[in-house]
Amino acid sequence: MSSRSPLQGVPAVSDPPHRLSRRRLLRHAMAGTGALLAAGPLSGCASPASASGASALSVWDLFQGGDGMLMDEMIDAVSRGDDGFDVDRTILDWGPSYYTKLAMSAAGGRASDVAAMHLSRLAGYAPGGLVDPFDLDLLAEFGVTEKDFTPAVWSRTRHEGTVYAIPLDVHPFIVFYDRKAAEKAGLLDSSGALAPLGSPEALLEAGRALAKATGTSGIIFGHVTDTAQNWRLFAGLYAQTGAEFTLPDGGPARIDVDAAVRVVTLMTQLFDGKTNPNNLDYNGALAAFTGGRGGMAMLGEWELPTLKESGIDLGAAPFPQVFEKPAVYTDSHSFVLPHQDDPDPERRREAHRYVAAVLKQSLTWASAGHIPAYQPVLSEPGYAKLEPQSSYADAAKVAVLDPPNWFVGAGSNFQNRMCQPLQSALLGNTSPEKAVRQMVREADALLRQPNPVA
Amino acid sequence: MTTTAPPGSQRRTEPPTAPADGRRAVLRRIRSGNGFVFVLPFLLVFALFMVWPIVQGLWMSFTDSSLALRDTSFVGLDNYTEAFGDPDVWSSLGNTVFFTAISSVPLVLVALAMALLVHSGLAGQWAWRLAFFAPYLLPVTVVTLIWTWLYQPELGLGNQFLDTLGMEPVGWLSDESVAMWSIAALTVWWTVGFNFLLYLAALQSLPTTFDEAAALDGAGAWRRLWSITLPQLRRTTGLVAMLQVLASLKVFDQIYILTKGGPNGSTRPVLEYVYDVGFTGYRLGYASAVSYLFFALIIVVSLVQFRLFRRED
Amino acid sequence: MSANATPVRARRRPPREAAGSPLLLGHGRLPRILAGTALVVLAVVWLVPFLWAIATSVQSEEDVATTGLSPFKGALTLDSYTEILERGNVSVWAFNSFLIAGLVTLLTVVVSTLAAYGFSRGTFRGRRALLAVTVAAIMIPPQLLVVPLFDQMLLFHMVDTYAAVILPQVVAPMMVFILKRFFDGIPKELEEAARIDGASEFRVFRSIVLPLSRPIVAAVAIFVFIGAWNNFMWPFIVTNDPDLMTLPVGLATVKDAYGIQYAQSMASALLAALPLIVVFLLFQRRIVNSVATTGLGGS
Repeated sequence: MSSRSPLQGVPAVSDPPHRLSRRRLLRHAMAGTGALLAAGPLSGCASPASASGASALSVWDLFQGGDGMLMDEMIDAVSRGDDGFDVDRTILDWGPSYYTKLAMSAAGGRASDVAAMHLSRLAGYAPGGLVDPFDLDLLAEFGVTEKDFTPAVWSRTRHEGTVYAIPLDVHPFIVFYDRKAAEKAGLLDSSGALAPLGSPEALLEAGRALAKATGTSGIIFGHVTDTAQNWRLFAGLYAQTGAEFTLPDGGPARIDVDAAVRVVTLMTQLFDGKTNPNNLDYNGALAAFTGGRGGMAMLGEWELPTLKESGIDLGAAPFPQVFEKPAVYTDSHSFVLPHQDDPDPERRREAHRYVAAVLKQSLTWASAGHIPAYQPVLSEPGYAKLEPQSSYADAAKVAVLDPPNWFVGAGSNFQNRMCQPLQSALLGNTSPEKAVRQMVREADALLRQPNPVA
Repeated sequence: MTTTAPPGSQRRTEPPTAPADGRRAVLRRIRSGNGFVFVLPFLLVFALFMVWPIVQGLWMSFTDSSLALRDTSFVGLDNYTEAFGDPDVWSSLGNTVFFTAISSVPLVLVALAMALLVHSGLAGQWAWRLAFFAPYLLPVTVVTLIWTWLYQPELGLGNQFLDTLGMEPVGWLSDESVAMWSIAALTVWWTVGFNFLLYLAALQSLPTTFDEAAALDGAGAWRRLWSITLPQLRRTTGLVAMLQVLASLKVFDQIYILTKGGPNGSTRPVLEYVYDVGFTGYRLGYASAVSYLFFALIIVVSLVQFRLFRRED
Repeated sequence: MSANATPVRARRRPPREAAGSPLLLGHGRLPRILAGTALVVLAVVWLVPFLWAIATSVQSEEDVATTGLSPFKGALTLDSYTEILERGNVSVWAFNSFLIAGLVTLLTVVVSTLAAYGFSRGTFRGRRALLAVTVAAIMIPPQLLVVPLFDQMLLFHMVDTYAAVILPQVVAPMMVFILKRFFDGIPKELEEAARIDGASEFRVFRSIVLPLSRPIVAAVAIFVFIGAWNNFMWPFIVTNDPDLMTLPVGLATVKDAYGIQYAQSMASALLAALPLIVVFLLFQRRIVNSVATTGLGGS
């Protein structure tokens, strides 16, 4: 911290009242400019929400599209009533742009009051002081405690024993299937749900059966030029082998090469380009599955709204266990408190209250496919009725996230670099052994970089 | 010295028009200084926001300075050693040079063609100037918004047009072998107006005597263009090319907004790599080292150009 | 060509309205037709992106999302524009852009003309060395300094302030150099008389040198304003608070919940393009001259 000690005497506009009055001033000024720009009546109708920015809680996230609109709904819900929040929401582009801005604003000390963050990213923020810890007593006051989350997820919210993130959801990489095709292929159990597979051979066989049932392809997976899909699939399967994948600072990466080769071999056998296509990109895979050219798709649950629109008789299940151990690759959208140089305790309190209030709205969030991390919502009758969401809710119990390190996580360079050799293997340009060796090299190269947050 | 000199001797050095109170004027002149006060505000901002970051950046390039809030320590030449062995440094430098090559050539030639055509005296001067120069006035995001839409894979003008010609759609920004060309095309559209104006100004200030004489001798328009006008523009061309190469080397904005350096790093210029490692990757020290390597490249390019330019003169 | 030829010409003999030279084409009809055709084709190519954007912006999102080469696929509507203005972001960013570009221009012009005058007329020790350093600094692209500059702003606790966006942009060695060369070209006799009359150096500068330099100062101001208005990288790096962003930064950074909507994105692009295009239409000749003088002046 010492390198950035506040310079004495340099004017800093960090006290909230000051800052707020500037905001208000701006909003007045903007009415004038707006009129200039619009040259007429168009600008007269500035929305009332933005006119009362005075006490607004600033909130950052990266949700667009379906998620974006659901988040709007949840914010609307917590904004109602006497103790409703006044929320100033900012949405930035998903991925590196968001995380870069978040880190830069936190380093600058004038960050937003609350921000969304993938839990897999926390290791890049908490150790470097870019996010501030939550006050668990305060959260408990608003009805949120550790007991409300699954241990698999909660364990990842801490850094050196302190909680820095409160999970909103768990969003696993799962399988969607066409019920009709799956039934025809004999993959359903008596209750009409996907029967356990249990072995790599069973998965391969399921692919063949589905291909026969649809008359085109069996299992659909889009990965070409994608910067995460291959990693999601690999990491989930790898975790099922029970082998270790850790990234100790300075390296070398601890990766069980044999287990990794087993996984990549299975991936190449599965997506052989005959039974199941091996050359689809993300959107191509979505189009293929919604167009009925495949009986099953390996995707994130967040594609649920899109898939539902397609009119397929849609089923979903946690990613099937094919190796020794149940495990499902997931991530979790969480809330963090970006670092502020001198936070106003009253605002911090409001931030805690806000996080708790939004968690309690997560049934709305579940309609996008996400599994609410806040367990009380799962036992609400409304959740059980959500189909097919409730059929993969158990994935949260065997959630596996990225191995923690500062350069890892959703939208990170690490995932991208893991994906490249996997893509080559799936396209048949390289062997599973070579691909795994390349992955180990990439991981080692990233680990050799001096850790900037330690 | 004048302050201590007797009034008499002082008088002699003054021009004859000096008024009686010339001595006071001289005093005041000294008091109001030797002009240093005028330079002071500039020196202040110059020292703070140019000299400081240059020195600070150099220092940082020898440290592990980080965006995260923690102590910084000296690491010697580690960053430079790492940068020399970092394939991404080299590929982003390569991308930068490639972009500079494929954008600078059309940016000079198209500008020249535009200026010659407009200068040829066809009616509607202001309209041509507006058409060619207007894009230069657009903020980069406006340009990228418009071109993202033109390059949009299904609905964009580019692929719609190819479709009506019965041709396959092109992945303007998603195909590794195409993306940089798409960005160069956008850049030509966006900034050619500036070079166009430089050429136009040069054309308008050319002496017309040679041209007139040649025309009297019966030389055709094409002939006069090649043997009189273009040689006369040699100097301007050198200048425009030099400014353009330096501008193209600094590319960041449009690429960052359009492709973030993708697909698969194929369009990432070195300035974006600096942003990526420095801000996205927190490693300000390493990013400074990469900046300084790039700085070295710029200096080399400038010197080479300067020498070429000198020789041609 | 002498170093200060260009600016002086700009002052004494404003370049004639580009009348062009009929000589270039001669009197034949064919070259005239060929040149005309080439010009029209080029101009159309240059205008198509604008026209396509305008056509997109005045249609509904649904119509835009249908394929076909026809620019108009449905009923005309201004919904996209009303939608964007209601959201208010674009107005805030436009305000910031005006404020920031205005202040950058004002400060740069003041600081640079003063410095140029000091360098031109000053006799202080180290003048030559400082001038040489200034000229050398022209070669340093500000983009190279973003990392240490950001670090400096962290140190000063200035990240996410207007000052942090504005101040580094005020350093314009190139403008100092252009102005200095111009001042060098003004005969000193005019000032000597005033000095002898007892005028202070500032008075001489303000009432003799500045009035003679109006065109070049205007040219510099216009050039700086365009640069500041369109500047992206530094404002993008140093502002995270959307309320402080300029038009290009805000449009590139802040998204809305619905995801990408092309009609709206074209409408916001065109709204953001409007101010400078209007300014250009009003001051066309001045702007053209300023680009020519300051652009060439950098040689």
